[in-house]
Amino acid sequence: MNEDNVETSYFRRTSRWKSSVILLIIALVATVIVSLNVGYAQISFGNILAILGKQIPFLNGFIDSSFIEPKDALIILQIRLPRIIAGVIVGSALAASGVVYQGVFKNPMADSYILGVSAGAAVGASFAILFGIGFSFLGLRFVQIAAFMGALLAIFIVYNISRVGTRVPITNLLLCGIAVNFFLYSVVALMEVIAGNELKGIVLWLMGGFSSVLWSDIWAVVPFIVFGIAVSFLYARDLNLLALGEDTAQHLGVRVERVKQVLLVLASMVTGAAVSLSGLVGFVGLMVPHITRLVIGPDHRILLPTSTIVGAIFLVICDAIARVIATPFASTLELPMGIITMFAGAPFFIILFRKKKQSYSL
Amino acid sequence: MKTKYIAATIVVIALIATGSFIYLYYQGQAGSLPETLINLVDDTGYKTSLDALPNRIISLAPSTTEILFALGLDKKVVAVSDYDNYPYNFTAWIAAGNMTSIGAFDNPNMEAIASLDPDLILTTAGVQAPTIDSLRNLGYKVLVLNPTNISGVLQNIDLVGNATGKNAEAAALVKSIQSRIEAVANKLADVETKPKVYYEVWYDSTSLWSAGSKAWQNELIEKAGGVNIFVDQNVDYFQASAEAVIERSPDVILLPSQGMGFGDPFWGNLDDVRARPGWNSISAVQNNRLCQVDSDTISRAGPRVADAVEELARFFHPELF
Repeated sequence: MNEDNVETSYFRRTSRWKSSVILLIIALVATVIVSLNVGYAQISFGNILAILGKQIPFLNGFIDSSFIEPKDALIILQIRLPRIIAGVIVGSALAASGVVYQGVFKNPMADSYILGVSAGAAVGASFAILFGIGFSFLGLRFVQIAAFMGALLAIFIVYNISRVGTRVPITNLLLCGIAVNFFLYSVVALMEVIAGNELKGIVLWLMGGFSSVLWSDIWAVVPFIVFGIAVSFLYARDLNLLALGEDTAQHLGVRVERVKQVLLVLASMVTGAAVSLSGLVGFVGLMVPHITRLVIGPDHRILLPTSTIVGAIFLVICDAIARVIATPFASTLELPMGIITMFAGAPFFIILFRKKKQSYSL
Repeated sequence: MKTKYIAATIVVIALIATGSFIYLYYQGQAGSLPETLINLVDDTGYKTSLDALPNRIISLAPSTTEILFALGLDKKVVAVSDYDNYPYNFTAWIAAGNMTSIGAFDNPNMEAIASLDPDLILTTAGVQAPTIDSLRNLGYKVLVLNPTNISGVLQNIDLVGNATGKNAEAAALVKSIQSRIEAVANKLADVETKPKVYYEVWYDSTSLWSAGSKAWQNELIEKAGGVNIFVDQNVDYFQASAEAVIERSPDVILLPSQGMGFGDPFWGNLDDVRARPGWNSISAVQNNRLCQVDSDTISRAGPRVADAVEELARFFHPELF
């Protein structure tokens, strides 16, 4: 009888998890389709479908594209679609690494920038904006490469300062991360003071956004992000055990130090790659995991995949808002996306939190 | 019989030859673009070649808009930035739907640009390099004008003239700017004492910014017969200290009419400037030589450079002008 109950509840949970993931994927696809219609240029949904259909092999012969203007195809395929895909990739990267950091640190304030990734990337990007204008390597922008390198370098430094023998205590990581963050941001501030003409470039980068993202920028980061997220999914069970405390997890058979190392390196690589594409986008890595946890619960096996999708949806919506927020005022002004993520995300989190605060656990 | 064939063959050959000659001649006519459209080198060293004279030009910055309109390309400019205000009130044009805006010039709206299908985009380095990269990657012809001195502006005017088929107009404009600046120099030839000039970029309770020797305004001050008090600073714009200004005691203080290009001046009114702590010891304050300058003419590296030099010369040497 008892066994039966466990089994049915297990099946019920599994099917609930499956349906929430499927629902979220449907929501993501819907968001992408709706946001394809959002932008300065007024292009009808039928034309958008025709433009996209033309890109699909075998199907394209059946589509009459004679009524499509080349500039509309360019806007959809080279400007709007890359932004949306970049939103999906960066949003899922920041949210997934946020879950991992919060799980490893067992700290609700931990976010994807906690180990100095953001500051390291900011130093790299500012340096590139100041001194490396126009330089590119294998078709990649110097700003992007420098931001990624800066992020990795910052984590390497934080990790090695924190290390005690073969162990890396969490408190050490947190404190060193904060110290290195402050130090690196002072370097960014220094570069801003001497920047002159390029100041605006640094400021815009620090606020994040996708306004001039190219396909080549996206392909450069996709392998890192997909690999990092996929491997961290395999550690979801270990993250659950870590939540019981490192000692308990160790006794339950988790190689705590090894798992921590792998997860921190992966999450930092994912964050660094994402930030190199988008600039500093705040809120996503911190709040999306919390928002998802409020609704789904703290089990990492479901929290990790759902947060990943919610992050993607959230950022695609924020970028769509950034694109058209000024249109009602008959202006073509575009806002940096980082402003939208924080302005829209924080009140949303507060409302959700007030509704559910009794049942909240990390 | 044979001669008939030969005659027919000759006629046919002659017809074909004439036909192809006429065809090639007109082909050549149609294909002969002005050589000036090939290998245009802009201030970033990037080489651009245009396939035809541009008819749909987008200008991403106020200074490039001023050059285009000064060359009489009014009809070919299809969009400007939100900051453009000269030679026409573009904000009103945009509101009335007679001109398209591409948004803020340092963060332009890519979709707005693409939907106008431009065949030439002019910009300054104020538009961020990643944006320029992306525009070029999308296949647009972009010329980046980033002059650091007056001769750079004159070169830019020539470059835009070459790119748009307005070579003669460009040459005339360059000549008139040169001769006006020369006229100022001639009047100043016998001047012995040059006033020490402080150009204020920004002032508030937390910081004070001025212009060093690499700033655009430094050359304007020199051409107008003044000496920048911070000419020894080998930078463009930098954070100076109020103490340094007081110690160097400028004879003239130049205050831009608008703060950072918009709205009320950041320095309040002239009495606020005089009331700054310790500033009453400065020569310019004692002799009441606080000068308001039009912030657009003095900060835009465009065709109004001669206006700026003449205006400054009037401030520095009122007895001569």
